[in-house]
Amino acid sequence: MQFGVFSVGDVTTDPTTGTTVSEGERIKAMVRIALKAEEVGLDVFAQGEHHNPPFVPSSPTTQLGFIAAQTSKIILSTSTTLITTNDPVKIAEDYAMLQHLADGRVDLMMGRGNTGPVYPWFGQDIRNGIQLAVENYALLRRLWREEVVDWEGKFRTPLQAFTSTPRPLDDVPPFVWHGSIRSPEIAEQAAYYGDGFFHNNIFWPITHTKRMIELYRQRFEHYGHGAADQAIVGLGGQIFMRKNSQDAVREFRPYFDNAPVYGHGPSLEDFSRETPLTVGSPQEVIERTLSFREHFGDYQRQLFLIDHAGLPLKTVLEQLDILGEEVVPVLRKEFAALKPAHVPDAPTHASLKAAAERARDLETIEEPPTVAAVEESSR
Amino acid sequence: MKDKVIAVVTAGLTTPSSSRLLADQLAEAVRDELSGRGIGSRIELIEVRDHAHDLTNNLLTGFPSSSLREVLETVAGADALIVVSPTFSASYSGLFKMFFDVLDDQALAGKPVLLAATGGTERHSLVLEFALRPLFAYLKALPVSTAVYAASTDWGPNAAGLRPRIAQAATELVAALHNETPTQADPFENPTPFEDLLNS
Repeated sequence: MQFGVFSVGDVTTDPTTGTTVSEGERIKAMVRIALKAEEVGLDVFAQGEHHNPPFVPSSPTTQLGFIAAQTSKIILSTSTTLITTNDPVKIAEDYAMLQHLADGRVDLMMGRGNTGPVYPWFGQDIRNGIQLAVENYALLRRLWREEVVDWEGKFRTPLQAFTSTPRPLDDVPPFVWHGSIRSPEIAEQAAYYGDGFFHNNIFWPITHTKRMIELYRQRFEHYGHGAADQAIVGLGGQIFMRKNSQDAVREFRPYFDNAPVYGHGPSLEDFSRETPLTVGSPQEVIERTLSFREHFGDYQRQLFLIDHAGLPLKTVLEQLDILGEEVVPVLRKEFAALKPAHVPDAPTHASLKAAAERARDLETIEEPPTVAAVEESSR
Repeated sequence: MKDKVIAVVTAGLTTPSSSRLLADQLAEAVRDELSGRGIGSRIELIEVRDHAHDLTNNLLTGFPSSSLREVLETVAGADALIVVSPTFSASYSGLFKMFFDVLDDQALAGKPVLLAATGGTERHSLVLEFALRPLFAYLKALPVSTAVYAASTDWGPNAAGLRPRIAQAATELVAALHNETPTQADPFENPTPFEDLLNS
């Protein structure tokens, strides 16, 4: 199982000090968090993509490329890549490029984006969100898998004899997750292609997340990619830890109360009950995270949100230390012990490359004998 | 025949409120009308006030708390609705509107609704027609033609005027109930096959 962190990339005033970091400081902080994530032994760093303040990461491959140069093991991912408003041609190119630079340590999570004005800024309409996700992704897949593409669709100018460069590393496209909070169509899309499905359940009650994941699993099986419990599931989570539970609550509460999205709404206690938010001791985080498996089945990727709402970098790095030292090693062991053998790990570049090679070998072996060969043997 | 479920959504603020008083009378009239036709009923009373915090939280977080979710599901699953709002600043109250803002916008499609409002003076009675009726038209509900407004005086000297309106509205709601109420398709039970999404 893979463990990691995902960053939204918001610039939010620290409510306890009134300090607001600059965009430059926030961008560098995100890099620092990624490097630290590798250092403490996490598997994944994922970052959001936004095109409006107070968010900084508009250009994820620039940032992930910079991180790739300074890391060697961690998988670089997105949370999410806007499949609706980005040109799928540019996504194909950017992420194939990143794949080469990062030696294959790249995957992506597709998302639609829910900020209305971003769509018209990029010449689109939020009411076409699902259709954009469907058409753009279908094109993206072809660009990565077919050398020369002729294509015509509803949303983008047609392509004639187009080759996306560079080609994916080893001709193996990056693995793709589809993230959606509430749209069954996206669970359906992930299932259809046998891609991963990620539910950022941090703002949602477990009952809802469960429905989405069950639908994805059931449709994954329907489309013949394996049994429902072999579907590739990722989950979000939101945590804040201190040695003593009460200290964690005391320190995190002002950030919670003033956070973008849910701030000035429900109490920390209500929100902790209704969503996977866990503020407490490392042991409480371990127990809560293990309980996800009971609701959603064995899953492949757990990402934690730890760096939003104005939390200072120093605090975030402390959270990473606790994650790496006390939480993730226990979770790895416990999840591994519970996972049946037939449940796969999340695909990586290495595993996808090996699978592609096996498939090629199989094709050679199973190729039907030619007429000449049959005549030869019957003589 | 299965009992009809009537959800009563009332948004009065005081306890007891005149909105609740009107809601109870309307519910009673609908129950009598149904039983007169040999149909059983179950009244689900929802005081919006009890969910005021959860409604605010839902607007901010995007999802309902578990107790609010139950209430929203009750409304979505009801055969018909009685809604009562106090008149505030020449319209329905903000709290009343919040309830219908967080309700799924398809939840009331095709559902018969009895519109009612209360106010300090009868001068505001058209609030039913220029505020409540368009709201429920937008939600694709089927408001019956008689809507009931109760001003302060209707609880005293004018009570005789209110009673027949209540009875008329209840009769209309029950008549509307005889039409099949369409149920909403569940996208989780019957997902659109991906080929259809791809080809649409």
